[in-house]
Amino acid sequence: MSFGGGRRRRTVTERGQGVVERAVEADGLVKTYRNRKDTVEAVRGVDLRVETGEVFGFLGPNGAGKSTTVKMLTTLLTITDGSARVAGLDVAREPDAVRRRIGVALQEAGLDPRQTGRELLDLQGRLFDLSATAAAARAVELLELVELTEAADRPIKGYSGGMKRRLDLASALVHQPDVLFLDEPTTGLDPASRLTVWDEVRRINERGTTVFLTTQYLEEADQLCDRLAIIDDGRIVREGTPAGLKAELKERLGLAGEVTLDDVFLDATGRTRIHVEGEVQEVGS
Amino acid sequence: MRYALVLARRALREGIRTPEAIVPTLFIPLFFLVVNVGQAARIFPGSSTQFLHGQGYGAFQLPSSLLLAASFGSAALFLVEEIEGGYFDKLRATPVPRSAIVVGRLLAEGLKSVVIACLIVLLAVIFGISIASGVLGFLLLILLTALWAVVYSGYMQIIALKTRSAAATNSAGLVFFPLLFLTPNFVPRNLLTRPMEIAATVNPVTYVMEAMRSLILVDLRWETISLGFLVVAIAGAVMLAVSVRMIQRYD
Repeated sequence: MSFGGGRRRRTVTERGQGVVERAVEADGLVKTYRNRKDTVEAVRGVDLRVETGEVFGFLGPNGAGKSTTVKMLTTLLTITDGSARVAGLDVAREPDAVRRRIGVALQEAGLDPRQTGRELLDLQGRLFDLSATAAAARAVELLELVELTEAADRPIKGYSGGMKRRLDLASALVHQPDVLFLDEPTTGLDPASRLTVWDEVRRINERGTTVFLTTQYLEEADQLCDRLAIIDDGRIVREGTPAGLKAELKERLGLAGEVTLDDVFLDATGRTRIHVEGEVQEVGS
Repeated sequence: MRYALVLARRALREGIRTPEAIVPTLFIPLFFLVVNVGQAARIFPGSSTQFLHGQGYGAFQLPSSLLLAASFGSAALFLVEEIEGGYFDKLRATPVPRSAIVVGRLLAEGLKSVVIACLIVLLAVIFGISIASGVLGFLLLILLTALWAVVYSGYMQIIALKTRSAAATNSAGLVFFPLLFLTPNFVPRNLLTRPMEIAATVNPVTYVMEAMRSLILVDLRWETISLGFLVVAIAGAVMLAVSVRMIQRYD
């Protein structure tokens, strides 16, 4: 299996007779926060396997440990215990090398509001060692990709939420990463903007980039992800393909009707569903 | 260094696009200069006050204004904004050395301070203050002011990285006022009361102020000047080391 780019180095693990190439591999990942009063275990031993070329969904209720896990995998948080390899590289031992191989768009669209879209992408290119000319050309290319060419020279503070998300996505792609981490990329977006981001994610994945996507929107996971894991209270409680997880639940509970990913999520986390108006479904305790 | 320069350019652009953050750094020091001169100039007439070396009291007060202008540390508040908005994490997710993120902002702060110090001195010259040490002295005066701005911004960045709070960073910045007033701010050190003289002697800002003052009031007095630069160099090295350590351990 090849997704272009001879520079790509992969974690290759023998499993039975086949060869499995992995974009993300985590073993017993733990994150503990200590303050004066107590110790909080945000992530309690997460094991993950994401194959190269997949769109991998990472689901969980608020505070389950999704963002903390992503921040550890993207070198932004230290790992308390366990180990992680991304794009074949050890996250704790080779953080700079990992940073060169990953793109990161975090929960808050991390943008500098005083720069223009073009300046932000240009700067990002320079920070990933592109020459001034190459960075400028890459910025033009990405602005076209996310349909922000017209707004390119306007300050980011005037962008809508959807435009900011798309620009954030573009900034994560400047250096053509092997693995793209998207932490709740559609949270707070209107349905039209969400669909635009979905299209971008599909397009990026078709070009060979592995996508690690965290989301609270089950429909999003169902639409985009090849496989997914559900995390709750810092532990992985389900892992598999959307179809496989639904089939397993249907069989286990002997359900007659159609099983949705919502049902899988609720079963896995033991939570109740609250319907709110609109297309967004939120899950709470 | 290349990454630090790229990031410094961005920080400068940020400063230019936020004039409301720059204006007070120019206006408030000039305001203090005018007020202090207005209150004390008649007590210390230039013609009969030995420590003024023939200049007006404004020349004696000019270093205080320059130090004040260099001690706003607005870069740290931009940093907190970046931390809160998520852009700081975006920068940390790039493969640039962590130190470049800190140094980039400090370089920009130094350059901004050069411009502000030049404007203040220019205005002072227009109002009759002269730089007794000439062109070289003027350049050293601007350089010392800019280096102090880097030191103070470094201190403010440490607070910003530690607290990640605009309110805490802002409050920590106010520590400059006691440091400024525990100096020979209004009269030379030998005219201070004994407790104030001791406080001024242990206060590192005193030596920066005295170096600046010697450049304005007397010719190049290298002993005093080098002491000022030495204080800035030591404080700068400490601030830089702590800042880099903070950002490397940032979690």
